[in-house]
Amino acid sequence: MEERIYDLIFICRPDTPEADIDKVVATLEHAATDKQAKIEKTEKWGRKRMAYRVHKLREGYYVYMTIRTTNGELVKELERRLKVSDPVIKYLTVRLDEELKRQAKLKRHRERRAARRPRKAAPTIGGEQASAQS
Amino acid sequence: MPEENANQQQAPAPAAGPGPGPRPGGGGPGGRPSGPGGPKRGRRNYVRRKKVCRFCVDKVDFIDYKKADVLGQFVQERGKILPRRMTGTCARHQRWLTVAIKRAQNIALLPFGAEI
Repeated sequence: MEERIYDLIFICRPDTPEADIDKVVATLEHAATDKQAKIEKTEKWGRKRMAYRVHKLREGYYVYMTIRTTNGELVKELERRLKVSDPVIKYLTVRLDEELKRQAKLKRHRERRAARRPRKAAPTIGGEQASAQS
Repeated sequence: MPEENANQQQAPAPAAGPGPGPRPGGGGPGGRPSGPGGPKRGRRNYVRRKKVCRFCVDKVDFIDYKKADVLGQFVQERGKILPRRMTGTCARHQRWLTVAIKRAQNIALLPFGAEI
């Protein structure tokens, strides 16, 4: 299977001590390395106000990580661990590689067009003016 | 631009109202003959600004669902996604935007609907 990139965000209870959050992150890292996946980065966004109440809580401690893996089972495993861990109240995994691929493609396309532009510059400007006037 | 309009008007029909007639889809002067004081009639007075897709201006290739402050500008107070006709977003970016907003809602960065 080709390599995939995922975003994983989870929200902990706002009153969890820092150590417990580190513990959750460590279990996820352990599970990832077990399946030969790599956690590229882990960011703690800290306590943020949530847009709606979750488990009667208005605030949550956000943690964000990006994962690179070739094992499709990994996400299932990570989500299972998040589900059973007590401090976590919400999580979301998003597969991003296809969108990143699309982004790269569009960027390439744009650069190629920019390189070609000088030849075509004059007619396009004229066309824009004409459309603005009519 | 105003000069252009005046010229166009004189050519086809000098009798028609001198108001801002040539605007396409402007509703036209209805059944009532609007006198020479055309601009007095409401709603034709203002110039409609062309809305431009903000993502196209910035050349955005990927709308990040994590940037809640950006996405929040395309959402009503109660959490509804604003339509294209109000924000001027192009079809392609609106498509990406809805996906991004829905992801943000799932992780409580944006509200789903009514305030608790």
